[in-house]
Amino acid sequence: MDEIDLLRQMMTIRAFEAALMARPDHGFQLLSTGEEAVAVGLCAALGPDDQLLTSGRSIGPALARGLDSGAVMGELLGKLNGTNQGRGGRGHMASPGQGFFGAHAVVGGNLSIAAGVALAGKMHAAGQVTACLFGDGACGAGVFHETLNLAALWALPLLLVCNNNQLAISTPVQEGVAVAHLTDLARPFGIAHDSVDGMDVLAVRAAARRAVDFVREEGKPFFLECRSERLAPHSSATRETRSPAAMEALWSRCPIARIEQSLRASGAYGSGELDRIAGDVADEIDAAMAAADAAPFPAPEDVLHHVW
Amino acid sequence: MSGKPAASAPVRMFFREAIARAAREAMQADPRVIIIGQDVGAFGGSYKEFAGLYDAFGPARVRDTPIAENAMIGLAVGAAAAGLRPLVSITYMDFLMLGLDPLVNYGVKARFKTGGQLSVPLIVKTTAGAKGQGVAHSQCIEAWMMSVPGLQVFAPSTPADAYLMLKAAFLAEGPVLFVDHKRLFPVAGDVPPSDAVADVGRAAILRAGDDLTLVAHSYMCRVALAAADRLGQSGIRAEVIDLRCLSPLDIATVETSVARTGRLITIEEGQKICGVGAEIIAQLSCLPLSFHCERIAALPAPISSNPVLEAAALPDPDRVVAAARALMTKPLHKEYP
Amino acid sequence: MIYALTVPGPIEDAEEVRVLEWHCAVDDAVNPGDLVVELETHKALVEVRAAQAGYLRRIVCADGGWCAIGAPLAILSDTLDEMPGEQADDLPMLLVEFEVC
Repeated sequence: MDEIDLLRQMMTIRAFEAALMARPDHGFQLLSTGEEAVAVGLCAALGPDDQLLTSGRSIGPALARGLDSGAVMGELLGKLNGTNQGRGGRGHMASPGQGFFGAHAVVGGNLSIAAGVALAGKMHAAGQVTACLFGDGACGAGVFHETLNLAALWALPLLLVCNNNQLAISTPVQEGVAVAHLTDLARPFGIAHDSVDGMDVLAVRAAARRAVDFVREEGKPFFLECRSERLAPHSSATRETRSPAAMEALWSRCPIARIEQSLRASGAYGSGELDRIAGDVADEIDAAMAAADAAPFPAPEDVLHHVW
Repeated sequence: MSGKPAASAPVRMFFREAIARAAREAMQADPRVIIIGQDVGAFGGSYKEFAGLYDAFGPARVRDTPIAENAMIGLAVGAAAAGLRPLVSITYMDFLMLGLDPLVNYGVKARFKTGGQLSVPLIVKTTAGAKGQGVAHSQCIEAWMMSVPGLQVFAPSTPADAYLMLKAAFLAEGPVLFVDHKRLFPVAGDVPPSDAVADVGRAAILRAGDDLTLVAHSYMCRVALAAADRLGQSGIRAEVIDLRCLSPLDIATVETSVARTGRLITIEEGQKICGVGAEIIAQLSCLPLSFHCERIAALPAPISSNPVLEAAALPDPDRVVAAARALMTKPLHKEYP
Repeated sequence: MIYALTVPGPIEDAEEVRVLEWHCAVDDAVNPGDLVVELETHKALVEVRAAQAGYLRRIVCADGGWCAIGAPLAILSDTLDEMPGEQADDLPMLLVEFEVC
């Protein structure tokens, strides 16, 4: 995948989320604003037979993993064309057949699930890597440490990717986790680890490739921290606690602007090409929105389907 | 050890052997079946209920875990969703509480929330009940679980049902909570041959009678039968129903019995409030049925390891007999009011 | 004297035991310390060793069979001259005592 494709994927996420939030019926959303490089860089390193699990901040990773943007929009709007037939929403979006085992809205809840998926892979799908994307907010949960322990004890092919955007809603990471570096959490269990600038999609991709290769070849877990910035509030229903001045400074680190500038500066792509990509992205989002709007809602009696 | 049972005749065995037999047969039939839990490997299980499996199937399929019930259940849920057929053993039902999030928030909801893309063929096997081990190692909380949509709850009271229902659980397509009881492990009973199939959703009439209906599950079935014996000696014929399965609940069998006897006593070792009996009586109350009822359950207190306090808190045949005699004094109204 | 080898009750948590294997045959001499029979409770194996000398005269509960607590497992006698009758009920008991952990 070329750098231009990475840029395009990040632009798609940004434009998709903007279009979603422009609707009055946008619902309760957790956006990847500022964290697009983590999703795109990680997914660029995964193979088609690998599995990705995420937290509730799932839209960016789902799009980066290759899920159809119309199906993602449909899922977010509760329509039958959605990945989960509209039943899961953002918090539980899933397409296991496409290597997106799914999101889970419980903080840290997908970690032990991912360990189980990794165990199944270890036993019956040699070489498969199971990756689980979670936030710094999950690092204080008991199940996080239990999962690290089990992954180390059982040599699970599990890639734990901590998207450390340094805030758990309003709690800075320094006040949520009593370690100097989140990678310190992997050390007691003897788990290999790395930390990367999550605002640099090329660096994320390179680090993720090294991590994925390690897990695939060694059949052992790996902990990758991606240090990112959350450029929007935690959710569409959460107020921002940082000052406008602080936000302006953070926006200067936007991962999309960064690679766009780097591509322009390299001379490989001109404004015309980049504008064309922006136009393609806009068209894709329009089509996704149209597909979701055209799709029906489930029937009320569907509420009892798939319970047992 | 005893020799292999003939496939064609029932064989008498201890409760734990019935469990081991069902697990062994499932593991032989399907390489996706694995057992995980504390002390399930070389130790063979706290009650020796997994004896022989580690030697037969090895450490890849019979895995000892650290003491970490949240991750144990989460890992089992994830493994099931990804194509294995795990049984996770939670030695004490009290500590099922630690794993309720992955079981209830993911395991039983995975199929619904993914629109059918994932299914979770998982068995959570756990041992309930009071037996001198103190306030945090004695609880029966199956009533809390029977209201969870998507979760089957099995509660065998005999070695035969332990075998048949665990065998059925290994073939289920969704999560099953299999609840046995500390005081059932000493029990021996005849277990049917390997080709027997259980109707797991059907309650069983353990003893027929026309005067009153005793409904119980798990170890309390033995208390109910002991009470029925004593009542029988004084001419009161009690019908004893073993629920076997709490979810789905076979209310029809209970309804048929109570329609005939007009008197119902529900017996459970868990708590009375929002208990199994509460659900049964609530369901029956909405039917055109006239009956007198009493719920017998643990007293509303923690179950201490103190032998005096433990015995005082738990249902026993004396309490059932006293309640039965009291119910027998109430006249029946045969017409629906 | 003729005796009934019996597991006395009540024992908490045991209503019956399984006879795993008899380690001596009918009319064999039994010396103190000899392993007579292996029993199985729901939790453990129990080795029953002779506390006194005698002869095994009849096995009431054979290998693989189940015996209720308090019911006779076998008949023993001090000498081979004595003839055990049909009934085991009124015989003095040789007690097998153990605890289920």
